[in-house]
Parts: sequence; structure tokens; C-alpha cells
Amino acid sequence: MKGFDEIQQLWQGQKPEPNVSFETVLNRIKSGKNALAQKLLWQSVAVAIAVIILVWIGIAVSFSTWTTYLALAIMAGCICYYLFNQLDDYRQINNSACLLSKPQDYINYLKAFQQKRNRFNTRNYTIYEACIAIAFVLYGIEMYFVLPFWMFLSTVMFMICWFLICHFVFMKQYIRNENARIQEMITNLERINGQFREE
Amino acid sequence: MNNQRQLFQQLFEDNSKKVYHLCYGYTGDRDSANDLMQETFIKVWQNLDKFRNQSQLSTWIYRIAVNTCLSYLRTAKRRATDELNDNIIENYAEEASEKQEQIALLYKSIAQLEENERIIITMVLDEVPYTEIAEVAGISEGNLRVKIHRIKHKLTEIYNSNERV
Repeated sequence: MKGFDEIQQLWQGQKPEPNVSFETVLNRIKSGKNALAQKLLWQSVAVAIAVIILVWIGIAVSFSTWTTYLALAIMAGCICYYLFNQLDDYRQINNSACLLSKPQDYINYLKAFQQKRNRFNTRNYTIYEACIAIAFVLYGIEMYFVLPFWMFLSTVMFMICWFLICHFVFMKQYIRNENARIQEMITNLERINGQFREE
Repeated sequence: MNNQRQLFQQLFEDNSKKVYHLCYGYTGDRDSANDLMQETFIKVWQNLDKFRNQSQLSTWIYRIAVNTCLSYLRTAKRRATDELNDNIIENYAEEASEKQEQIALLYKSIAQLEENERIIITMVLDEVPYTEIAEVAGISEGNLRVKIHRIKHKLTEIYNSNERV
């Protein structure tokens, strides 16, 4: 049988010490900053290339209907919207003001942030799906005049099937998983928050 | 820049061990504790200019460490206590001696406490003053004393019952 004082003595005589040196932390600080900047840079480059390709298609290919140009503009808009949200997300993750607040307030911040991300992710999936569907419908108008009717019809049928699968299988599955993940996290955060309440 | 680096190095040397203990007590896993400790000091570096002398630097660092531990949930699911305990014992298996076994048992016992209890008790064991712990945990000192009394009792009971097994 040990009393608390003996347990404390035992604790103070323990060996486990961090196996991380000051230099390692400094290097990680440098590489961490670079990694974030690199990631943002590559994402921006990828988005810029995608938008340039779409603009080039719009200029180089002579489409017969204005709806195709609108479809290209919608696609480019979706890509830019994605990048904008990624940048905003990075900015929020790196918002350090909350990091210095009381644990209870920090838990509330984490909870609100996760709920917002969840709403954003699930809502965005629907927005992307709708925008891509609209873009294909608009492009379909051009195809109607260009392709033989049987080929146009089979392409339309294929696209409808693909969108139905995306909507009823992939989207539902994604939203279900996201909601389950977030619910587990919120439950844990609420449980921990409860532990910090005054007795 | 050089002054800031020197200050940071001093802060690291003075606090890294205690921050590591806090992270190890919270996660029950050496690798995670090392990661969390590094993450804590990266945040300390990034926010050094925001320190306003309203509290001691060590309190401020502890606050960042606690919040970093709390956000551990964001990236890793809370593991079942049994899995945590197996990890602790594995960690110590290489350097098994009677004392090391007792320390492993102590970490195993801490892992059986609630999250905020783990945070508070590791600071108590490291002899952090109660006023500082109260400030870090964001609760009144009176309330903290009640909690500490209960946690000490709970930890001693868990430790002794684990020792008997």
C-alpha cells in the first residue's frame, strides 16, 4: 500500500524525458512554416493551371452556343471557390487567439469550429454536385447540336446514372460518415468540458 | 531575432520536461507525448509576441500545452483505456526494473483517470503551485483544492488496486 506522498516521490524519480532536442523543435518550426507555405503554393499553382486550361479551351475551341462558355465559367468558379475555402480554413486553423484562452473556452471553440466545418463540408458537396450538374447540362446543349442523336442520348443517360450514383450513394455515405465522426468528437468535447466545470 | 531565440531556448530548457510529463500523463503514449510537446513549443514560438506578462511564462506555456492536449481529439480518436495501458507497459518493457515497473503502473493508473484529472494530477505531481494550476485549468483555487483532494484519493486507490493485481 502506497500513500500519495510515496506516489509523488516515485513520480519525481522517473526517467521518462522528452527525446526531442531544442534544435529538433527549431527545425520543425522552420520546416512546418515551409510545409504550409509549400502546400498553399502547390494548391494555388494547381488551381491556376486548371483555370488557365479552362480559359484556353474557351478561347481556342470555337463553341457554337453561349451555354458552353457559361459551363466553363461555372467549372472555373467552382475551382476558385474551393481554393478560397482552403485558404480560409488554413487561416482559421492557425488562428491562435483561442489557443491562449481557458480550456473550457478552447473546447467551445473546437466544438464550434468542428460543427462549422461539418456544415460547410456537407453543404459544399451538394453545391459542387449541383454546379457540376448544371455545367454538364449547359454543355449538353452544345452536344445536342454536334453529336449524332443516339450518341447524345447515350451520353445523357450515362451522365444521369453517374449523378444518381453520386447523389444517392457517394454523397449520402460521405455525409453519414462526416456526421458520425463529428458527433463522436462533439460528445467527447462535451464530456471533457463537463469535467472542467466548478463543483 | 537572436534574443527571441535565446528566450525560446531558455523556455524550452526550463519547461520541456514538465510539458512532456503533462502530455505523457494525458496520452499515455511516449510518441504522442513527444509530438504534443513539440507542437506545444511550436505554438509557444509562434505566439511569443502575444505574451502580455499577465501571468508567469510557465503558466502561459502550460495553458498552451493543455489546449494542445485537448485538441489531440481532433486528430486522434480517444483510445480505450486498455489499449492505452498496454502501450504504457510496452513502452517500459525494454527498461524493466522494479522502479520502472512502478512508474509504468503509475502512468497506467493516471490513464484510468478522466482527462481533466490527468492534466491536474500531473501538474500536482510536478509540484506546480496551486494558484498556477487553477489559472491554467481556468477554475477557482477553492474548487481546484476540492478536485485535487478527490483526484489524489482516486489515484492512490487506483494505483494500489493495480499493484495488488
